[in-house]
Amino acid sequence: MRELSVENLARVEGHGGITVTLDGKKVKSVTLDVHEGPRLIEQLVKGMRPEDDLNVIPRICAICTLSHRYAAIRGLEKALAIKPSEKTQLTRDLMMLGENVESNSLHTMLLALPDFLGYPSAIAMLNDYADDVKRALRLKKFGNRVMEITSGRIVHGENPVVGGFGKYPSKKALEEIKVKSRELIPDAIRVIELFGSLEYPAYSEAESLFMSVNAPKKEYGFAGDTILVSNGKETSAEDYKKLTNERVVTHSFAKRSLYQDKPFTVGANARMINMGKRLDGQAADFFKEHYSDKWLKNPLYNDLAQAIEELWSLEHMPEVCDRIGSLEDTPIEKPTRTTGSGTGAVEAPRGTLYHHYDIKDGLIDVADIITPTAQNLDDIEKHMKLTAERMLADDKKDEEVRLGLEMVARAYDPCISCATHMVTLKRI
Amino acid sequence: MTRQSPKVGVYGFTGCAGDQLMILNCEDQLVDLFGATEIRSFLMAKSDNHEGELDVAFVEGSISTDHQEKKLKDIRARSKVLIAIGGCACVGGPQAMMVGDGKWEERFKKVYGNAKITVAKPNEAKPIDAIVKVDIYIPGCPIDKSEFLNAVSKLVAGKHPYLYQFPVCNECRWKENPCILYAGKFCGGPLTKAGCGAICPTLGLPCVGCWGPTDDLNVTSEYQLLKEKGYDPDEVMKKLRKFGGAKLAELVKDIEKKGAKA
Repeated sequence: MRELSVENLARVEGHGGITVTLDGKKVKSVTLDVHEGPRLIEQLVKGMRPEDDLNVIPRICAICTLSHRYAAIRGLEKALAIKPSEKTQLTRDLMMLGENVESNSLHTMLLALPDFLGYPSAIAMLNDYADDVKRALRLKKFGNRVMEITSGRIVHGENPVVGGFGKYPSKKALEEIKVKSRELIPDAIRVIELFGSLEYPAYSEAESLFMSVNAPKKEYGFAGDTILVSNGKETSAEDYKKLTNERVVTHSFAKRSLYQDKPFTVGANARMINMGKRLDGQAADFFKEHYSDKWLKNPLYNDLAQAIEELWSLEHMPEVCDRIGSLEDTPIEKPTRTTGSGTGAVEAPRGTLYHHYDIKDGLIDVADIITPTAQNLDDIEKHMKLTAERMLADDKKDEEVRLGLEMVARAYDPCISCATHMVTLKRI
Repeated sequence: MTRQSPKVGVYGFTGCAGDQLMILNCEDQLVDLFGATEIRSFLMAKSDNHEGELDVAFVEGSISTDHQEKKLKDIRARSKVLIAIGGCACVGGPQAMMVGDGKWEERFKKVYGNAKITVAKPNEAKPIDAIVKVDIYIPGCPIDKSEFLNAVSKLVAGKHPYLYQFPVCNECRWKENPCILYAGKFCGGPLTKAGCGAICPTLGLPCVGCWGPTDDLNVTSEYQLLKEKGYDPDEVMKKLRKFGGAKLAELVKDIEKKGAKA
């Protein structure tokens, strides 16, 4: 028996590693180990007022800060029977587009791409790919700027609150987003072309199931009240527990998710599989050009899916800005009841995120948060095990197997802080 | 004489990785930053990391396992200057909000049940100065880009960085915002470290206290003033505990002691 391990998985958010246990050439197990410490956030927000909960929970993760905030807002507003105004709704859409551009450009170009091109980091690529690294930084910076304009700060902005916004973006700021989002479209297209030209090793291929929200009005989008499964089923977000089936496994402290006893995928590829036909603009053309059955098997295509999605987010911004600008500011809506329950589901860049709240007499009684990375963990391990088996059968060297496994794990754009907002995973 | 570029390490423990992300969010300066310093270790950004002697270590996150404690001590032992970045490293962060209430084990059990933990021993989250000596604190949730870059350029030039020593109220006055406290809503401004630019009050929202308690000497009188204005001290503490962590618990004990004497 021997172990082949990646002690510290680099270029992901949070701290994790990979351990492969081998018996000769036979792969006994592959685990994604998480070295994060426990935080117990769901327990800590118990007894808090909704507005205080909303300050704390985005701190579960910096990269998905607005997704956490928005999922919580959706859950809390349902629980308190608040109906947000159209202007509020559209401004939330805009902040999600900003987070999508920021996170997708960071993940595709700066975290995932170096593997494909054989570099240890994006900074190391500067000599040979200066234009592309700078392009990624431009896109990321703009995504951050949209987040800053809508939420008040690049990371952990407090402007989006239950019932509305502290202050709506100014006409000038909306104009800035409109102009800049159009300017950056060639950059986003170059990112798609780059990822469209890469070779995606087939070692990890396996059938899977894909879940995402069903955005309203048959449009593509990042929030919805029902969840689509790639087998054609649709379920209310309120029944999220039936979809995610969180369970404790004996070999770790992380809770895992299975759907009908099978691992499943959430993320940009799942969104494309479930809602890709709804894309419009140039993003729709690139989707038609690149989408194939391989996306249903090979998690590495999540990188290409993120690139296409990023273009859609940019293309969509001017229209959303125009609509926000045409509406009058509305005051923050007040709760119409003090006791109730609600589940908010949004698409974080790395997949579906659920926040469920039970509120009793104005205070949080139960908070339940299920993150995309926690849902993906079983699926990541399934694809990593196949990758290890097939690469070893192909006589690949340990170094190559390590890189192959890292690429699979990284393709899911894992957010380990998110996955361990309450648990820590360790191998025994 | 040419100055050698300092050897730098960036590390993260329990938290949201937001402070490391803020370093990566310095898009306009990132290339220069990697040029002016020798980044020896930065796991979130690169794969080729080398753990050895460092001139400066930036450490994010609170410490909540024995394994992390060991790793932090190792970083301290090989770093000339150790800088805590962000609220979790400086004061413990949201996960330390109920520190010292004696109920941590109960909460832990509610999440984990009776699962057997054999690899790392989890603990209630602590700020890093509960384990090692910290030379410089850069507060914030997350840290502010300009405060971070300012600190780095001072360090590259061999100087000590200057950080804000006053509460958010000062910044709020500079922005000429109407006072939220006078509108009858509790605002964390008077008791919270400045540096964010009073973002929340500028948006018409109360300061949530995310930069942690201020070192300002007037904090006792400001706390008393809030009491006099009719703000319930328990509510005030409940609000500020979200980000004040271990430090706020100490501060309040201190204030109450002084209050009892007065």
